[in-house]
Amino acid sequence: MARYTPPPQSKIGQMIDVIVLLILSIGALYIPLWLGLAGSAKTPLTADNPTWESLGQNPTMVERWNQLGFADPASAHDMITARFDYSFTWGAMALMVVVIAGYFALMLRLSEKEYREVIDEKFERR
Amino acid sequence: MADFDITSPTMDGIASHGTKVGLARVLGPAHVWALGVGIVLVGEYMGWNFAVGKGGAYAALIACWFAGILYSCVAMIDSEVTSTVAAAGGQYTQAKHIVGPLMAFNVGLYLVFAYTMLEAGNAITLGYLISEAARMTAGVTDLDQRPFIILSIMFLAWLNFRGVLATLTFNLVITAFAFCAILVLFFASAPWSADSPLAHAELMSGQAALPYGWIGVLAAMHFGLWFYLGIEGTTQAAEEVRSPARSLPFGTLAGIMTLLIAATLTWYICVGFLPWEYLGDGVNGAVAPLFSAAQMTGSNFLIIVLGVGTLFATLASANGCINDASRAWFSMGRDHYLPQWFGAVHPKYRTPYRSIIFLVPIALIFALGAPLDQVITFSILSGLLGYTFMPINIILFRRKWPLDTIKRGYVHPFHPIPAIVLLALCSLTYFAVFLGYGTQLIAMVSFYIVVSLWFHFWRYRFVKRADQFTMPWPKPKGY
Amino acid sequence: MWTFLEYAAWAASAAFALHMIYDWYKTDTTYSEDVLTSSREGEIEAMTEQHKM
Repeated sequence: MARYTPPPQSKIGQMIDVIVLLILSIGALYIPLWLGLAGSAKTPLTADNPTWESLGQNPTMVERWNQLGFADPASAHDMITARFDYSFTWGAMALMVVVIAGYFALMLRLSEKEYREVIDEKFERR
Repeated sequence: MADFDITSPTMDGIASHGTKVGLARVLGPAHVWALGVGIVLVGEYMGWNFAVGKGGAYAALIACWFAGILYSCVAMIDSEVTSTVAAAGGQYTQAKHIVGPLMAFNVGLYLVFAYTMLEAGNAITLGYLISEAARMTAGVTDLDQRPFIILSIMFLAWLNFRGVLATLTFNLVITAFAFCAILVLFFASAPWSADSPLAHAELMSGQAALPYGWIGVLAAMHFGLWFYLGIEGTTQAAEEVRSPARSLPFGTLAGIMTLLIAATLTWYICVGFLPWEYLGDGVNGAVAPLFSAAQMTGSNFLIIVLGVGTLFATLASANGCINDASRAWFSMGRDHYLPQWFGAVHPKYRTPYRSIIFLVPIALIFALGAPLDQVITFSILSGLLGYTFMPINIILFRRKWPLDTIKRGYVHPFHPIPAIVLLALCSLTYFAVFLGYGTQLIAMVSFYIVVSLWFHFWRYRFVKRADQFTMPWPKPKGY
Repeated sequence: MWTFLEYAAWAASAAFALHMIYDWYKTDTTYSEDVLTSSREGEIEAMTEQHKM
């Protein structure tokens, strides 16, 4: 097999490559944030005139809340009742499995192709 | 390239700035421990408590131990491969030799993003800590955190720029302090005495036991990783360690043991001091849980020790992250996976200086612009993808080069059980991330798919084929 | 006091940044690109370690 000689890359080409990579990576984190799709949305329940009892707090917990600066139940209410929503649809779950499994399958396939080239070239010349 | 010219001041063929410059081999096993534990220990000082928020206190402990198993597998697998493939790229170089170039490119990016995001998370915590100090000492409530965030990143980048030995010796000192601070708080809260301020039974009763039921335990695995994330970074020091085949397995395995102790103690202390709802809210509640626990004791001495401990832990971690991320970026540049411009070594300080500088603004963008749990999730996901790669890696490694074909510095026991356990725990963690942070998971994997296609169809043309395979190994079986 | 510390932090960040940029510039202009990018992976292994059994 003939030895592969890569084309030289110009300074500008190098810079463009870095910029492309940067845009993609910053986009991956910030697009969910901008669209407001980012998870972790914990929503507190609404309740009128909460008491420590109605929030399910025993005396030791109340004492700790006071020590932390939450003097009355109303101030700690939002933090105590905030819960994640773990309900999910099986469709979304299937999508996740497909995306992750597909990603690894794609990557291993293409890697294997490139790897065979590397090994052929490396060990042929010995 | 021209060999050398004795009359030239820069290419005289003598000493370190002769015709070739490489990274300096100056580190011992203690530095490897400091690099590994230093990066991770901050996970006990902040971030792990989101696991409490996702499933409650018991869930966090179960997650902590399952993640402990996951990381023990990671450490064993990593130790075996890296005692053989000793290069600055760490897992990136392993992937390149064992799985293939595209996998290697992805692994390199996992490393860079996991560490850069972790670094950003550290800087955010440091900013919080400084503002808290200002509030407690002078009642200042409107402190601008930005200069302190920027200063921490700039200072550590500068330290890294100036040389690896000073950087990691600094890490050794502050990591040891931060670890001792956890022990001090544990003994000071005297869990064996009757009037101990720890109130596990009361704080974990009723609705607080398992607030989400068992699905919460699963969901908590997401942030359970945070107790240990980054221990695999020890391999990045491979080109700078004096005796990699011995030091790397030793430093890594000692590191994971240290962390198992620190993680369990941390959980025990914090859960005994704080109501889980407060502890689990790492944004508005306990940003730095060990520090919050120290505040609950009311002892000024403990507040100062744990405050300094938190500060040191964030610095040690950010420091190690800059070190590791830049090594990975540098290695990819050296192989032309990224522009070769990044593959430069500073002739005097012997550090990958261009990579170090380049990653500074990226860390700043995320440290100044994104909320802590998002940054952490980004880091965890990159890490998780990396751990999913490891079982594939070790299985192929043993298949292509069976034990009797090349010499290994360390051989991990019970193959392939650790690989299978690791893969199973990774799948579980994907599901845990999916609960509550599904959008980020999909966004992140989509990013890696797009980048992979970009690499395969465009970037790879600039890479020399055979030159990537640098280890003096025989031809792999089956090729 | 804290206002002063804020300014000090800005100043120190700038100093570290400038020093790195200055040193980077100096290094890049003193040494040729060939020398700077002459590091190769696995060179030491090739010389000192025999991965044969």
